[in-house]
Amino acid sequence: MAFSSFKTDVWVDWCPGCGDFGILSALQMAMAEYKKPASDYAIFSGIGCSGKIIHYVNSTGIHNLHGRSIPMAIGAKLANPRLEVIVAGGDGDMLGIGVGHFVSAGRRNVDLSVLLFDNGVYGLTKGQAAPTLPRGIKTKSLSEPNIDTNLNPIALALTAGYTFVARAYAYDIKFLKDLIVRAMKHRGSALLDILQACPTYNDINTKEFYGSRLYKLEEPDWDGVVRKPEEWNDKYSKAMQKALEWGDKIPIGLFYQNELVPSYEDRISQRLTAYAERPPALQSISTSDGTIMTDLSELLKSKRVL
Amino acid sequence: MQEVKDITIRLGAAAGDGIQSAGEILAKLLSRSGTYISTFNGNQSAIRGGHVWFHVHAGTHPVYSMGYGVDYLLPFTQLAYDEHYSLVNKGGIIIYDPSAVTARDLGADISQIKSPFLATALKYDKYPIMKNTVAVAEVAALIGLGFDVVEETITSQFAKKPEIAKKNVEAAKEGYGFGVQAGVRKALKYSDKRLPFLHANYTFSIGAVAAGCRFYAAYPMSPASPIVHWMTAHAKKLGITVFLGEDEISVINATIGAAHAGARAMCATSGGGFALMQEAVGEAAMTETPVVVVNVMRTGPSTGLPTKTSQGDLNMMLGISQDDFPRAIFAPRNAPDAYDIAVRSFDIAERYQMPVMVLLDFQIADGGYMTIDHDFEPVDINRGKLLNSDGTDKELHNGTWFRRYQLTPDNISPRPLPGTPNMMYVAKTDEHDEWGHDLSDVLAGLKESVLMREKMQEKRMKKMEQLKAEMKAPELVGQTRADLTVVSWGSSANPVREAMEVMNSSGLKINALEFSDIYPLNTQAIVPLLKSAERLMIVEANYTSQFGGLLRKEIGIDIKDALLKYNGEPIYPVEVERMVRNIMVKEVESHVH
Ligand SMILES: Cc1ncc(C[n+]2csc(CCOP(=O)(O)OP(=O)(O)O)c2C)c(N)n1
Ligand code: SF4
Ligand SMILES: [Mg+2]
Repeated sequence: MAFSSFKTDVWVDWCPGCGDFGILSALQMAMAEYKKPASDYAIFSGIGCSGKIIHYVNSTGIHNLHGRSIPMAIGAKLANPRLEVIVAGGDGDMLGIGVGHFVSAGRRNVDLSVLLFDNGVYGLTKGQAAPTLPRGIKTKSLSEPNIDTNLNPIALALTAGYTFVARAYAYDIKFLKDLIVRAMKHRGSALLDILQACPTYNDINTKEFYGSRLYKLEEPDWDGVVRKPEEWNDKYSKAMQKALEWGDKIPIGLFYQNELVPSYEDRISQRLTAYAERPPALQSISTSDGTIMTDLSELLKSKRVL
Repeated sequence: MQEVKDITIRLGAAAGDGIQSAGEILAKLLSRSGTYISTFNGNQSAIRGGHVWFHVHAGTHPVYSMGYGVDYLLPFTQLAYDEHYSLVNKGGIIIYDPSAVTARDLGADISQIKSPFLATALKYDKYPIMKNTVAVAEVAALIGLGFDVVEETITSQFAKKPEIAKKNVEAAKEGYGFGVQAGVRKALKYSDKRLPFLHANYTFSIGAVAAGCRFYAAYPMSPASPIVHWMTAHAKKLGITVFLGEDEISVINATIGAAHAGARAMCATSGGGFALMQEAVGEAAMTETPVVVVNVMRTGPSTGLPTKTSQGDLNMMLGISQDDFPRAIFAPRNAPDAYDIAVRSFDIAERYQMPVMVLLDFQIADGGYMTIDHDFEPVDINRGKLLNSDGTDKELHNGTWFRRYQLTPDNISPRPLPGTPNMMYVAKTDEHDEWGHDLSDVLAGLKESVLMREKMQEKRMKKMEQLKAEMKAPELVGQTRADLTVVSWGSSANPVREAMEVMNSSGLKINALEFSDIYPLNTQAIVPLLKSAERLMIVEANYTSQFGGLLRKEIGIDIKDALLKYNGEPIYPVEVERMVRNIMVKEVESHVH
């Protein structure tokens, strides 16, 4: 499908200059390039400016409570692993109210791509400090400098167990698009931290701020992909070291990828051999006339044996 | 020997003494002998030294609750003796080991039999644990069971450890001998019919899976945990995906996600976990996603009394999260009921595209087994307006999207599943139009949006009207005309039934209305039943009469006479009887004046 066929005619109500526009275009391009039919995608988004993206992409969009997209997406993916599941949400959504889900997802490694819209503020609620805003920073939306220390999404994702950890920039659409495609191809949980400006509330992390600082992690200097178990220690440590870099120079690119860790779907398949063929949403539970298909005689055996 | 219709047996010991498995052996002995049982597991972990008890009520006819008093008391510790002796019936028997328990003078009405449980056990093993076996075998003899069933039950209990089985059988033989010496006291009529027993957590799980539930999510919480254990144990055979979330918020969201994707999905917890789930239950209603959520109630707000029973969460279910939204609430009365309600819950959730809440409680779930006397009926499954095809007609599809929230005459919209070719749609947790688009942004406050909010709220709420008509009226138990009608809901029906049987056989005219379909109330069917009652009384396990409050609000009937128990202990039939007699006496007195 062409890029344009992933657009919709819903009015996009983000502020002019918002980084969300770039993320939207990159996502639509990535979906087109990934070549799955639009109906195979399911995008789960949270509450925030970022969460509105589902209305602007022509695919099934499920708009959730603030912070709860990750568990919702996990449930859907486990019920029907054939869906290409994407989670889109803000830094407040996923690192504030939903941070427990963000961290716990790493333990499971369900095959999904998490797009973190990282603008340092709670945009939709008018610019309060989000968990990625450094301590002591005072954006124009704050009356006092931020009192909390910031979270580092890359280091957190590495610690939590994400098997694909990358950072991109909302205004480098091609680079972002490529990383989204790689995240979708990745078998396991992928975190893509997307730096974006919020011109309305965050006058610190602007296009100018990032423009001079960002540099790309690229071969031959950088290769974060673990291909053999013995590479893990070295690549993981280097990725963690890289994650701490934030200042005059800020890296973007793929920090770490490890497909040697089994996905949650693989783990279920080891228990339920028919899982891949007949996951929960794709099992027939009744015949066409509504007759039950569960073997009740089996169930009755589970009545306390006497 | 006296042949009776039912007997009650209570074992009491220190925690860790193996009283639970001794109780289960007793339950099995009786079930293998064709009698009906109802058990209760009393954990009183707060008492010094730890004290637990296990209660078995067995009868030749179905029994539902604790029965009356205690016919046979087996106190393994002094504390157990002191706690429970006052419950022993006239003609009852206390069997105790004088090396552990000093008996009191209880008069001639109660026999106290001394038996060397410990010394006997130590003859066969260096650990004292087999004293349970000795004691249970002695009771078996006292209630007139043959030793063959004792031997068979013990052997099967330890099937994997034949050495241990053998030792236990030998110890049991001695214990049985003590009983024979004492002579058979109260006996039931036994047969070779074998009746299985289960608790409501299990029967609900079986019903759920029969109804096609293939996704189950949980975070551990007593007394709901047996459900996750059952689901995990049966996952392989039945193709169930079990997800242990990081908290109850993730659990319910994952359940909604799985339901979205098309699985029949359920989760369960207890009150505290449900409190965390509330926002998402509203979301299930808003996005019109069918889910089944079970709350196995325990006592108290906050962390409360984790191993105690209560019916205190009804108000939470009625008032879940913000604003009005549709929901169905059920409260199975006991284990057999739970199967049927599980099956109905999934159909109702899917046909009405709304969350269904089920209230179980410790007493009928984790805390008590009950005989299952009927076969679980195979069920018909109706998935409502679930679309399997790509119904891309113009009405429903604008070329980009499917009209997920179409306004229809019956207020239920066709529901496609993600992944169906060409059937992209938006499911929306914010208020939305028929296409799932926001009403709160560019449209906010515009006439069009205000009207749409009204229509959408009405669409969702009006589903309740239809649902109401198919909610069942309470079951009327006992004669149609009575001097007093006792209203109960969920598990409180069980002690009422037992009390009613006893009172009616002593000449009173009492009947009962047992509610298991709680909300919405089918008022049309209920009003005549309540209005025609001579006099009403209500029984429930909470402080404020929460169900009474619902009846007052929905039907305008205020039931003043209420037996309300909120101390965590089960409601006993004798408590129901006492209250009923009190009311009836006053009734008579007021006529005299
Ligand atoms: C339970 C709950 N708490 C608070 C809110 C209010 N709220 C809406 S959006 C938002 C913050 C959004 O910030 P972020 O996730 O960073 O997204 P952004 O707008 O920056 O893209 C908050 C706090 C809510 N909707 N739900
Ligand atoms: S408030 Fe900020 S994040 Fe939200 S749309 Fe405007 S610029 Fe973008
Ligand atoms: Mg933000």
